[in-house]
Amino acid sequence: MSLSHEDVQEILGLLDDLDATELHVRTRHFTLSLRRDGPTGEWVQATTTPGRTAAPPPASAPPSAAPPPAAPGLIDVRTPLMGTFYRAPTPGAEPFVGVGSPVDEDTVVGIIETMKLMTSVHAGARGRVAEICLDNDRFAEQGAVLMRIAPERAGAAP
Amino acid sequence: MADLQLVDVSVRDGNQSLWGATGLRTAQILAIAPVLNRVGFRALDFTSSTHMGVAVRTFREDPWERLRLARAAMPDTPLQLIGTGLRFISWELLHPDMLRLAYDCLVANGVSRFVVLDPMHDMDAVRRTARMIRLAGADEIVGALTFTISEVHDDAFYAGLAAAMAGCPDIDRVYIKDPAGLISPERARTLIPAVRANLRGTPLELHSHCTIGLAPRTYLTAAELGVAVLQVACGPLANGTSLPDAQRVVANLRELGHRVDVDDHALALVVAYFARLARAESLPVGTPQEFDAAFLRHQVPGGVITTLRRHLAEVGLDERFDAVLAETGRVRAELGFPIMVTPFPQLVCTQALYNVVGRERYANVPDQVIRYALGSFGRPTAPIDPDVADRILSRPRARELAAEPPPATPEEVRRRFPRGISDEELLLRATMPAEQVDAMLAAGPARRRYDPELAPVLELLRGLAGRPRLAGLRVDTPDLSLELRRGAPG
Amino acid sequence: MIRRLLIANRGEIAVRVLRTCQRLGIHTTLAATEVDLDSTAARRADRVVPLPGGPRAYLDVPAVMAAARAAGADALHPGYGFLSENPRLARACAEAGITFVGPTAETLAAVGDKPRARERAAAAGLPVLPGGEATDAGDAVDRAERIGWPLLVKAAGGGGGRGIHVVEHPGELAAALDRAAAEARAAFGESRVYLERYVESGRHVEVQLLGDGERVVPLGDRDCSVQRRYQKLIEEAPAPGLDPALRARMHAAAVAFGATLGYRGAGTVEFLVDGGAFYFLEMNARIQVEHPVTEAVLGVDLVEEQIAVADSRPLWTPSAGVTGHAIECRINAEDASFRPSPGTVTEAWFPAGPGLRVDTHVEAGTVVPPFYDSLLAKVVAHGPDRPSALRRLAAAVARCAVAGVDTNVALHAELLAHPDFRAGGVSTTWRPDRLVAHG
Repeated sequence: MSLSHEDVQEILGLLDDLDATELHVRTRHFTLSLRRDGPTGEWVQATTTPGRTAAPPPASAPPSAAPPPAAPGLIDVRTPLMGTFYRAPTPGAEPFVGVGSPVDEDTVVGIIETMKLMTSVHAGARGRVAEICLDNDRFAEQGAVLMRIAPERAGAAP
Repeated sequence: MADLQLVDVSVRDGNQSLWGATGLRTAQILAIAPVLNRVGFRALDFTSSTHMGVAVRTFREDPWERLRLARAAMPDTPLQLIGTGLRFISWELLHPDMLRLAYDCLVANGVSRFVVLDPMHDMDAVRRTARMIRLAGADEIVGALTFTISEVHDDAFYAGLAAAMAGCPDIDRVYIKDPAGLISPERARTLIPAVRANLRGTPLELHSHCTIGLAPRTYLTAAELGVAVLQVACGPLANGTSLPDAQRVVANLRELGHRVDVDDHALALVVAYFARLARAESLPVGTPQEFDAAFLRHQVPGGVITTLRRHLAEVGLDERFDAVLAETGRVRAELGFPIMVTPFPQLVCTQALYNVVGRERYANVPDQVIRYALGSFGRPTAPIDPDVADRILSRPRARELAAEPPPATPEEVRRRFPRGISDEELLLRATMPAEQVDAMLAAGPARRRYDPELAPVLELLRGLAGRPRLAGLRVDTPDLSLELRRGAPG
Repeated sequence: MIRRLLIANRGEIAVRVLRTCQRLGIHTTLAATEVDLDSTAARRADRVVPLPGGPRAYLDVPAVMAAARAAGADALHPGYGFLSENPRLARACAEAGITFVGPTAETLAAVGDKPRARERAAAAGLPVLPGGEATDAGDAVDRAERIGWPLLVKAAGGGGGRGIHVVEHPGELAAALDRAAAEARAAFGESRVYLERYVESGRHVEVQLLGDGERVVPLGDRDCSVQRRYQKLIEEAPAPGLDPALRARMHAAAVAFGATLGYRGAGTVEFLVDGGAFYFLEMNARIQVEHPVTEAVLGVDLVEEQIAVADSRPLWTPSAGVTGHAIECRINAEDASFRPSPGTVTEAWFPAGPGLRVDTHVEAGTVVPPFYDSLLAKVVAHGPDRPSALRRLAAAVARCAVAGVDTNVALHAELLAHPDFRAGGVSTTWRPDRLVAHG
């Protein structure tokens, strides 16, 4: 059984009568915290539902596979966000870049889609695409390497 | 094997048996109503006029409003009212036209199934009442065969009544009502076939209390013998002096190969709800009862026995208890074997007490016994012993009571109260003290929300109001922990 | 009557459906992908059945049906998004003897095909914007010339504001058609597109319908014009400042459209309102995110009514008119530049008080995965009139405090305070500075 907003309003009425500032309740089925929001003095609530198993909640970010070390001289292009990696501007269109494509810092080399929103991925270096590390429409974990760039000058910055 | 249906009595009979009818208010019924509606009960034993009076008197809640709200929340499960057809809320007789008005209002407000219960089994009265209820628009009318053990209440007696009920066009089905839980499986094996044979296809239901632990087994026998519907109660409102537990009855029926089409999940939720409510409101939980052989003989309910013992103790006559109990049997026979269901146990026992401690038998007679002898409770099943009747009715008080004016017609009643009040309010004002009805109206619409998990929290918070300023409060129990803080004053 | 319901959805709508089922005593099973197995909905459901196959499994009809069978469900609620308007799911349920809480597969197919729905609306006498399906490039150019510029290219099988492109002048048309066709194929499985006149000054006003297959009743209207990139941000009921005669005509038009379908369940007809005229846009044959504002002003539980229709119970009709005004803000997990912000919520405080309702799946410890939409909570304020509802909502939104992910609370605070919004009746192209895209 979960609390309804009418239940909470009833409790708030009683708390107002008592000049109370905070209430925490724990029952078998829920916990409810009510307190007065500092600046406005109005009420805020937080509830939690007891977990169904004793297992701890999953880690906030799936552990990323340690990226393989960059081949000497190549620059990693990492994903700015975790999400689905698209190599082309729209499905069916030509990919932004392929192996051998020349790029500079601002060249868009891909799109990351997270929660239905698109973010462009920029090469971040001047040179040519040496390796594509993640296929189209695959999920990019936090910090995943999408492709590698062979910089224009040998011995590029890390 | 057989398909059985269930009628649930938790809200009325269960509540009345175990929680003194004061256990459930409107909000507590509404909170579980949507779930109760989905279980698949054939009907709910929802109210009686007595039960309606309790709502006004104890809770200051409008019973008509409760009925309307319950009906709206439970459109798929018929709501039942049980009544004797003689009175409405108060013990005074009502004019038949006032009763008609009551039935009209009950149907309009949401009752669709009525039980006609005449403990005297006066079939003329039953037929009159059933017709009145039919004309008011009820969907289903159930005639009650009220069970008791006595020399006149044998299988043939009930079979004859069954035939009369089956022959009445205004009675749709019949139920055996066993308020003291006296029917054993053995008795059921003769009683039920005898009754069914005379019902000619009219469906038969069984309603038996668990008072001495017989009903749960008797129900299984009844299922084998063609009873179509068993009446049950849920969770803490079952067992004790209430009816068998719904979940256990369902499990046992299925174990024996019968089919019961109910939503088990919804039923479990109902049981859990009443259990949490009982805990939150500190109400007793019904438990399975021991067999009491003496009870089969005297049939005096436990509550009345307790009162008897107390009265005897107050006058220093404890040792006369057995004599009083024996006298109870004698008085019952002389009065024509009233069935030992309220108010008759009290009536019979009080007379027995007076007979034992008084100068001589029937030297003192309480008003209720006089009224009984005058026929206010209906025509007794067997005639009253002529000598006893004579002694009672020759009393001056008997003449006074007999001279009481006949009940007032609705027109006469309306003249006593302000014009323009609803029929529902009129019925309450005609049968209850004015200050109780006024208090109910002043209290306004009933609360509609209730959550047994929150109830202790709300009660605690309400209880804190008006106390000296506490900086904080902390409560820690396995079921509930609570922490309250108050800011600095000013 | 329904006894065991499978909820084939997640997030706040799963929690919403659960709440009504628990109040009614219906057994609930949640079908959940791996990342959602410890969600708030999973904790509250009576049972959880895992959906194998990765985060996209909510779109997998066989997987959802397998979950329904594993749950012993006699009914299935598809929520919104995902498969909620997919005729294949509705058909699979019908074949399996499972009650689909929604319209029939035929209805879903009819309204899911947007150009056909437009034709049906026109045939039923509803005004529609100039437009039509473009079968090839030449046909498209002719059609576009008749429609006029600017126009919209829309995916025929689309919905939820996705797959829409504005085309300003003829030179852009060919490229826009290709792009739209490719997106439509990828997103909706078919590449058909249609064209429609683009009305910049229009308001998005929608009418809520409830039908039982024989009768259709209108349950008021909502204004959802405050949007960014076709995603609604703020919704309100009733639509403010509408001429009563126009409102009545729109309700009648929506009912007429629903009646041509023999509509069963809850659904919404979307209109574009431009001055004194209204035009049919499309119908959404599901419960919508913004349903709470309708519930607030009519005192109805739409999920309960969906279930009642699925149970073949009598159709609910409002006994009173609209009471007061209600406005809802969609609190999303996004930063100030509208970038998504998945992560783990460490604390979640929401406003409480008279006239306030918060529908959320978020509690301390809730994981907001990156695979799905970013909706965290819906904050709804109800008041006796629009100004009081707006005051209440503005004060409430300011009290939302979610830690661990970014939210658009600050955005809502600014939008609610904006004089244009306070005046009411902004169009879908309303672009206060705050809403202009970044990044």
